[in-house]
Amino acid sequence: MFRETEIVKDVSSIPPFPQDAVQGGGGAGDLIINVGPQHPATHGVLHLVITLNGETIKKVEPHLGYIHRSIEKMCESLTYRQFIYVTSRMDYLSAHINNHACALCVEKGMQIEVPDRAQVIRVIMDELTRIASHELWWGAMAMDIGAFTPFFHAFREREKINEIMEETCGARLTMNYYVPGGLRADMHPDFQKKVKEFIVLFKRKIDEYDELVTGNIIFINRMKGVGMLSKEDAVSFGCSGPAARGSGVHCDIRKLYPYAVYDKVEFDEILETGCDSLARYMVRIREMKQSVRIIEQLIDHIPEGDFQAKTKAVLKLPKGEFYTRVETARGELGVYIVSEGATTPYRIKFRSPGFSNLSALDSMARGSKLGDLVAMMGTLDLVIPDIDR
Amino acid sequence: MWSLTNISTGIHDWLIQTFNPTWALIIEMVIAGIAVIGLFAVLGLVLVLMERRVAAWMQIRLGPNRVGPFGLLQSAADTVKLLVKEGMTPDGADKFLFNLAPFIAMMVAMLLMVPIAFAKDFQLWDLNIGVLYVSAVSSIMVISILMAGWASNNKYSLMGAMRSGAQIVSYELSAGLSILTIVVLTGSLNINDIIIAQADGWWIFKGHIPVIISFVIFIIAVTAETNRAPFDLAEAESELTSGFHTEYSGMKFALFFLAEYINVFIVCAIGATLFLGGWMPFHIGNWESFNHVMDYIPSSIWFFGKTFFLIFVIMWFRWTFPRLRIDQLLNLEWRYLLPISMFNLLLATAIAILGWHF
Amino acid sequence: MNNASNNSESANPPLGGGGAAEGFPGEIQEVPGGGIVLSKLDDVINWARSNSLWPLTFATSCCGIEYMAVAGAKYDFSRFGFEVARASPRQADVIIIAGTIVNKMGPVLKRLYDQMGDPKYVIAMGACAISGGPFFYNTYSVVKGADHIIPVDVYVAGCPPRPEALLHALISLQEKIKKGMTREQIKSGI
Repeated sequence: MFRETEIVKDVSSIPPFPQDAVQGGGGAGDLIINVGPQHPATHGVLHLVITLNGETIKKVEPHLGYIHRSIEKMCESLTYRQFIYVTSRMDYLSAHINNHACALCVEKGMQIEVPDRAQVIRVIMDELTRIASHELWWGAMAMDIGAFTPFFHAFREREKINEIMEETCGARLTMNYYVPGGLRADMHPDFQKKVKEFIVLFKRKIDEYDELVTGNIIFINRMKGVGMLSKEDAVSFGCSGPAARGSGVHCDIRKLYPYAVYDKVEFDEILETGCDSLARYMVRIREMKQSVRIIEQLIDHIPEGDFQAKTKAVLKLPKGEFYTRVETARGELGVYIVSEGATTPYRIKFRSPGFSNLSALDSMARGSKLGDLVAMMGTLDLVIPDIDR
Repeated sequence: MWSLTNISTGIHDWLIQTFNPTWALIIEMVIAGIAVIGLFAVLGLVLVLMERRVAAWMQIRLGPNRVGPFGLLQSAADTVKLLVKEGMTPDGADKFLFNLAPFIAMMVAMLLMVPIAFAKDFQLWDLNIGVLYVSAVSSIMVISILMAGWASNNKYSLMGAMRSGAQIVSYELSAGLSILTIVVLTGSLNINDIIIAQADGWWIFKGHIPVIISFVIFIIAVTAETNRAPFDLAEAESELTSGFHTEYSGMKFALFFLAEYINVFIVCAIGATLFLGGWMPFHIGNWESFNHVMDYIPSSIWFFGKTFFLIFVIMWFRWTFPRLRIDQLLNLEWRYLLPISMFNLLLATAIAILGWHF
Repeated sequence: MNNASNNSESANPPLGGGGAAEGFPGEIQEVPGGGIVLSKLDDVINWARSNSLWPLTFATSCCGIEYMAVAGAKYDFSRFGFEVARASPRQADVIIIAGTIVNKMGPVLKRLYDQMGDPKYVIAMGACAISGGPFFYNTYSVVKGADHIIPVDVYVAGCPPRPEALLHALISLQEKIKKGMTREQIKSGI
């Protein structure tokens, strides 16, 4: 039934990490240092091998795989209703949006019509998740740059969102609320009231945060001109989400390939042309405001009806290949299912936004200082389990 | 009755009566040494706890409040734990320098306690070059940091130590020049003279513009000298693990930890002495009755009050501002602070000669 | 490693309440005829150690976010003295394994654990660190439980555990240290 993997028994048989080696000849005076895998910064387990010359970076090589949990392989033995829980853990900060992508793919394959009520609640939940994810990004980024206090302010707002989620979905972080066909349960009676209270509070707070951090001259100097990613580079690396929109690439999936009720609400796609870290930062801050706008339009107009479409008890996708894409807080997530007509998929592949965004780090970091690397990684907003799956 | 001056003169008189003068001097030195070490320990515990409570207050949460009433025993628990923690020395480390570095840091802090006037007539040694002594001895701090970074045999420690060395050496210039403004206005390097000269008003009020500018520069420079945020690149956790004290654990780490807070206390004490009047109560010119009322508050309370106010301001900086990058930090010093302080010194000299201060 | 054979029931008196009637799970009660004799000095040292646990920042996946929430303002763990999270393993006391450990990360965890100074404690947070969690079946790369690699003192269940559960775990660890029942203390015979 399951295979016990060969646990590494003898630590000394593992080849050591690339040790520091002062290379003569080709790179005279170069120092190779390892950053990670255990990071004081809250990014997760990313191992960067950086070649330095003094304080200037010459090359950045990310080594992945320290949280590769073989999710895609696992999904091959789970049915179409079961595999959604595991995708919550992939990019856990936008858990709802990941689940939405999987549910959409299965619905597309089985041609299930999702009722309006479910679609509207799904969009509200998605946008709340986006706000929560950007809040945590903001707090963690400020902490990396050295200002410790915004972290606590960010978590205060996140706790409010978590409370709302917990009442309706049952969990704070990895909620499996979407099923193919709609929602697992109807929303809590207090949901609308709480969301409206949250919006009123949040609109005040986001201006305060803007002033506190964005207006700070030390902060701006740390981020302006740091990590330039030109528009051509962003497109060629496959970047998406706020990382690409900060360089002027028009890539918001909610606008280009709308799903759920995104074509019926009004919101702006935020584009900045600065191409540096400050531009990416501003994109996310403004996206939070747009999310609030979307929620405001929808929260009072949730249609009555079913929260779940009637589906068969056992879901079997017809033979073929299906692909859907959504806009998570990090960028474009794609779900690709190959089905042979059985109850479990033959192959699932996730196109993760972090993987492509990370590949741009090397070109952004060449020529900058070591202290800038932190600002760059912060604005790319990497969640490593999303990259490693 | 409880004034520190009375206690110290009382002890001195009793000792002179009981022993011959040499023995009396030696016993006084021993008492002074024990008192300094005791003050260290108490200050260290108080400042560590104060930092955490102030941080918590600014971050909308409660700080340590479970260990003992109001969390007062938290520092004691931390200290005892650090004492019995295993102290490891890395294999390739230079053992002598590795062990010596924290002790030099503590030694510098203790030596700097000497000229500080805690209350009226309560100074360990009233040097006639008090200000110069402070400036000179605080420069030795950089040696202990470089030693710690080098002897740890660890790339990150070395990088942290080099950054820190560059930072401290640069900011000493600005700190020194801003101290010189006060010296120019007073006309003496003696700490007691400086305090007495503030009997009709603190220098920050009497010396108006040049002194306010040099006060601001002084606060910025000493924040950089003691490696506090926003200049704490040497200990930048998100970048280089723990900087120069990555490899220290146990007792030696406790010494570094303590030495940092004691340094903050000392530079704030110097700032309070030079700019805010030390133990001199708040007098306004010739308002005799007001001055008389102010005199009722004991001078030690004035001194500690001012010092802790400055410590609070420095802690406030830490929890408000993000960190500066190393080149921005050095830019700030060499391109902005240094020219401004040199110009300010000229201005203060002109004002002192022309008598345009209160 | 040594967790399966060195079952605590055989060598030491039973820990924790036997059932609902005997107290809250996770609490350590004295059993007549058992226990370890501690001297007064040991009491003071254990009190100091338990009240000043400095965690190592080690978060691999989703449980790391709940760990950060415990550090946040709502479930503040600095009230107990834990907020001094050191990044260098030499200065840390407790390692909270928050997240899944995979085969590639195993040697890194072992190396970090070895670099920590004695006495050190381990908390396995979340289902993944206890036993592989949701990634137990049909995965080729997940270590099914962090205790295959390092000895664990306290296990916290949940996926992810609520912040209150993590606080309960930290307080249980404090109790264990005060009673002298952590693996480190049992091994060194305190």
